[in-house]
Amino acid sequence: MQDFQNMFKDLFELDDAMDKYEWIIDYGAGTVGLAHKYHTDQTLVKGCTSPLWLAREESGCIAAWGKSSIVNGMASMICAWYNQASPQQQMDFSLNTLTDIGLAPLLSMGRQNGVANLIAKIKTL
Amino acid sequence: MREYFPFFKRRQDIIYLDSAATSQTLFSVVEDMQDFMLSNKSNAHRSGNSMGTYVDQQYQSSKELIGKWLNIDKPEQRIVFNSGTTQGLNDAAQLIMSAMSSGVVFVGIDSHHSLILPWTQSDNAKWRVVFIELDKDGRLDLNDLETKIKAEPMAVSKVIAVNAVSNVLGLINDLNGIKKIALEYAAVSVIDASQIISKRQVNFSGFDFVAWSWHKLYGPMGLGCLLIDPIWLNFDPVRPGGGTVTHVGLDSVTWTTNASKFESGTQNLAAICVLPKLVTWLIEHQADIETHDKNLAKIINDQIPLSQFTPISKTDSGLISLEPALGTVEDYTMMLDAKNIMIRSGKLCAEPLINQISQGALLRLSWGCYTTRQEIEIALDNLGGIHARLSKHV
Repeated sequence: MQDFQNMFKDLFELDDAMDKYEWIIDYGAGTVGLAHKYHTDQTLVKGCTSPLWLAREESGCIAAWGKSSIVNGMASMICAWYNQASPQQQMDFSLNTLTDIGLAPLLSMGRQNGVANLIAKIKTL
Repeated sequence: MREYFPFFKRRQDIIYLDSAATSQTLFSVVEDMQDFMLSNKSNAHRSGNSMGTYVDQQYQSSKELIGKWLNIDKPEQRIVFNSGTTQGLNDAAQLIMSAMSSGVVFVGIDSHHSLILPWTQSDNAKWRVVFIELDKDGRLDLNDLETKIKAEPMAVSKVIAVNAVSNVLGLINDLNGIKKIALEYAAVSVIDASQIISKRQVNFSGFDFVAWSWHKLYGPMGLGCLLIDPIWLNFDPVRPGGGTVTHVGLDSVTWTTNASKFESGTQNLAAICVLPKLVTWLIEHQADIETHDKNLAKIINDQIPLSQFTPISKTDSGLISLEPALGTVEDYTMMLDAKNIMIRSGKLCAEPLINQISQGALLRLSWGCYTTRQEIEIALDNLGGIHARLSKHV
């Protein structure tokens, strides 16, 4: 049950924002992501400019897939962390968690709204 | 030109390529707004005191100079101040719909939402919208317009509502051709000039309504103009209020006989009072502004890396929209932002066009008279670099 920053410490060791983006893209590209059969209107996360789907798969794990490489990576990180987090960590998790560890500035305000909706949706699954 | 804009001294780290949404501010605008707010804040129209008289003079001088700049006779009868293009286009639509019982509105498919919505959202179901399609080059197809107008012989009234330059395509529509068709078919003409007016000298005579915003014209936020044909002074204001009348009795109203008839309530005087110097500057630099715009359009048309980005069209003026070969526009926008390069992406408030010509979202780079060739080239280089980064993950 690692905290978010420890789980992705390689990312936080990078200084350059472009390198951070590339790490996030790479992370998303390296995950399987939400299976296509789950890409439905019900699993679509509202408030995202490009489509992002989020659902609990048959395995019981939460997974996401986004068309934007950066959003896909970020959502994949959030899902991977959430799947191993303690109930208390899950309950405490919010957009502020990402802000506090310096990730939110990588997201535009519009995208932050999308991520906030992603987190809210995760908590309903 | 750059030396006239304090932003670029204060933010040397930024490459600003979002001028089609909002331009940076001329130095005199900042100074004059501060001067107004700190030393001259007062209201216009019949104050009876010297501070109010000063504001009146600035207000009148603004209209006179706009008249000189755009070659408009009797500007006091033709120029309406408002909050911006959106309000101008809404007011024009409301005025037309209040004056005419029903009709068909021929709207350019390349229009900004603010030109479309006043007609489609109207409670008045007697008005119908017909879209004008684009020709093969991406400009409004005037043959299509004429064909569609001819197909509506029974329409009680006709309105042609188009933009001079699309905020997605950067292509200059044939305003003279549109004016000719409007005259031939007795159609009311409404022009969204918000993208062209900061770039080119245009003859707006002969159009019923022309709207623009000053925040795209190196001026303040929250101020626009609606240029009207004086014939519309014969109709009652759609937003009556203070400043629109000369007399109010218990059972009668006398409206003013000039364009202030359509300027109800206290106007954005802090913004209006900066116009004398701003418009004087525009008059002095008009030729340079136009040449600079044409030069940048040529550079960007020649240098788009076509293997990585598809330009929706070549540009004439002010902006270019691109569709990336891979990745989403959000990826590019966020990564350019990390390099302090400010562009805009998405549907660009022109969803009917965007959905017709793209996968649903575009990148837009737009410039002003202060934008340098190097800035355009740096942005294009970075777009190429992002494409390379993204292509590693495909």
